[in-house]
Amino acid sequence: MPEELTLSGVTRTFGDRTALEDVSFTVRPGRMTGFVGANGAGKTTAMRIIMGVLSPDSGRVELGGTELDLGMRRRFGYMPEERGLYPKMKVAEQLVYLGRVHGLGGATARQRAGALLELLGLEDRSEDLLQTLSLGNQQRVQVAAALVHEPTLLVLDEPFSGLDPIAVDAMAEILRLRAAAGVPVLFSSHQLELVERLCDDVVIIDHGRVVAAGEADGLRTERAGRRLRLRVDPFPEDPATGPASDPAALAEAPSGVAAFLDQVPGVSLHAHDGTVVVVDLAEDADDQALLAEAQRHGLVREMSPVLPTLAEIFREAVR
Amino acid sequence: MSGWTTVRVVAAREITVKLRDKAFLGSTLFLLLLVIAATVIPVLISNQTPSIRVAVQGQAAAEVVERAAELGAEAQQPDADLPPALLMLGAPGLPAADVTAVEVEPEGDAAALVESGDVAAALLGERITDLRLVGSEAVPVELEALVRAAANEVQVAGAAAEAGLSAAEVRSLTTPATPEVVLLDAQPASVVPPQLLVLLFAFLFYLSVLTFGMSIAQSVVEEKQSRVVELLVAAVPVRWLLAGKVLGNTLMAVGQIVVILGAGLLAATLAGQGRLVEVVLGASGWFVLFFLLGFTMLACLWAAAGALASRVEDLNSTTIFMQVLVIAPFFAAIFAIDPGPTQRVLSYVPFTAPLLMPARVVLDNAEPWEPVVAALVVLGTAGLFVVLGTRLYERSVLHTASRLTARDAWRRGLR
Repeated sequence: MPEELTLSGVTRTFGDRTALEDVSFTVRPGRMTGFVGANGAGKTTAMRIIMGVLSPDSGRVELGGTELDLGMRRRFGYMPEERGLYPKMKVAEQLVYLGRVHGLGGATARQRAGALLELLGLEDRSEDLLQTLSLGNQQRVQVAAALVHEPTLLVLDEPFSGLDPIAVDAMAEILRLRAAAGVPVLFSSHQLELVERLCDDVVIIDHGRVVAAGEADGLRTERAGRRLRLRVDPFPEDPATGPASDPAALAEAPSGVAAFLDQVPGVSLHAHDGTVVVVDLAEDADDQALLAEAQRHGLVREMSPVLPTLAEIFREAVR
Repeated sequence: MSGWTTVRVVAAREITVKLRDKAFLGSTLFLLLLVIAATVIPVLISNQTPSIRVAVQGQAAAEVVERAAELGAEAQQPDADLPPALLMLGAPGLPAADVTAVEVEPEGDAAALVESGDVAAALLGERITDLRLVGSEAVPVELEALVRAAANEVQVAGAAAEAGLSAAEVRSLTTPATPEVVLLDAQPASVVPPQLLVLLFAFLFYLSVLTFGMSIAQSVVEEKQSRVVELLVAAVPVRWLLAGKVLGNTLMAVGQIVVILGAGLLAATLAGQGRLVEVVLGASGWFVLFFLLGFTMLACLWAAAGALASRVEDLNSTTIFMQVLVIAPFFAAIFAIDPGPTQRVLSYVPFTAPLLMPARVVLDNAEPWEPVVAALVVLGTAGLFVVLGTRLYERSVLHTASRLTARDAWRRGLR
């Protein structure tokens, strides 16, 4: 039964520098959790604490309510930030060794290593020394090293960095499969679009503090301000009366359909492109009044709230 | 999974890596050949009995050469009473040789035979008082010695017979009795000079500890530099890792020593030096025990020296103390090569005990309790150093950023 990983109140300092301060978040089973933050925000420190490579000054790391110990961590899969494999060891042998260190029997380890290498398209390199592989392929082996013992939790520090788009897709697929099998997956990345595409949950960390955490969609809805997108087509020209709009009104508001905005208090133009306008509403602005005014100026084809992208939330959060 | 399984898996990797290391294989092979050569070649040289053909012309010459051949053959019989060391170095008295006489007709040209190289020398002469030993550039020393002795015997026998002495009287004249030597405080006969044995033990220990110590340090820093260690410490206790490394390298070191000693002993057996084999085998138990203790004593410190480095390039400076700790005792042992108070004291000092105590056992100048006490001293020191080395290793193996000093590492937190 997969269980969730919880960090609560984790603090860690290095000398007089606080790397993590009261960090709490949850990595849920069966879901991909993206761990996002600027360089030096504390992602790697947090992951090392989860893996027990570092210990927290205070706070707890628990799986299903039980504080982690080495026995539980041995069943985790880990991909450290600075990749770690033996350069002068054969690829397959290396995976078998790491599998055995993680508690697999010899035969099982060999069988899993073989299967993983095949999955990653590296079966013909299994007898080569790691250092003879390209960096991308070395990274695949690194992933295999994290997966070889069929971990109960995956902690991956920047698993996508340095991969080409096809490799990114392949890696994403592998992680998704693990998540679908019920394994909690935590990975960090700078590629926010990728995180947005892949993740169910997001944790945003800045200067050692969690500034946002939760379901990605929920965060976007929650963080959505009162920004609306409208598409307003002009009225069709009436052959009898000539142009639909008053030429004088057009002259006052040369931006065409945006002319109606001035009629509604508390509305400001954010962006404008042809018949599409994006507006921000003040707290007290009335979106229905805006709609009514828009309808007086043209045919309203679309009016919808604009959800911020993860990148926007991130920039907002770390500002 | 039990700790033992992990230790075994880690140790097995160390061994596999070592077995594939061409430098290791090369140096082992070199040592093997060296030991075999050192055992076999001197034995072959000392055991070789020269075959000498002598041209003989004249009746007295024939008589003398016949007797010389008998003497040469007698000298080949090992004398059980003589210590083997002396046997190896060549028994005192007459040299062993296979002397073959080639008879030359009175009118034949014996000198021509010598010139042509068909015979090594020619003995000419009808009368015993008128013998000439003819050689080309030189006469083989064995032959000359045998011919001189034979000529003496023949003359004495002749004179004695003329004087009417009995056969027994003749024999007592030609082979006079020599006084028997009796040692009241006899040491067992050593096949090899004792100093050589001390040197051999010291050198093997020194070489092995230096090679495999360095190999432990290297293996540690490689894991640090490649960051594999981060994966490993997330999965297994650091102590198990260390134990696996030390175990793997200790096994390899002992294995190498056993193979080298074994090859040397085998070579010595084949070369007919059974006595040498007995003596070395008798000491090899103590030697292997002290080797194990001495190696373990330093192994964890070597690992710590590796962990203090952050890159392979740092090893030279972080292991310098360890190198001194191995080299200084080696030279101290050579300095104390002669039995005496210095050797006695140094054979109890933990660093020199593995070098000197087994040697003292071989030379039989140690009381039965002495190696036991020294072993306990080394064992105690090993315990202390294992604790020290483990602490330094645990506290520095994850510090990948820069080189550490032992003092920094000692004070650091665990993680």
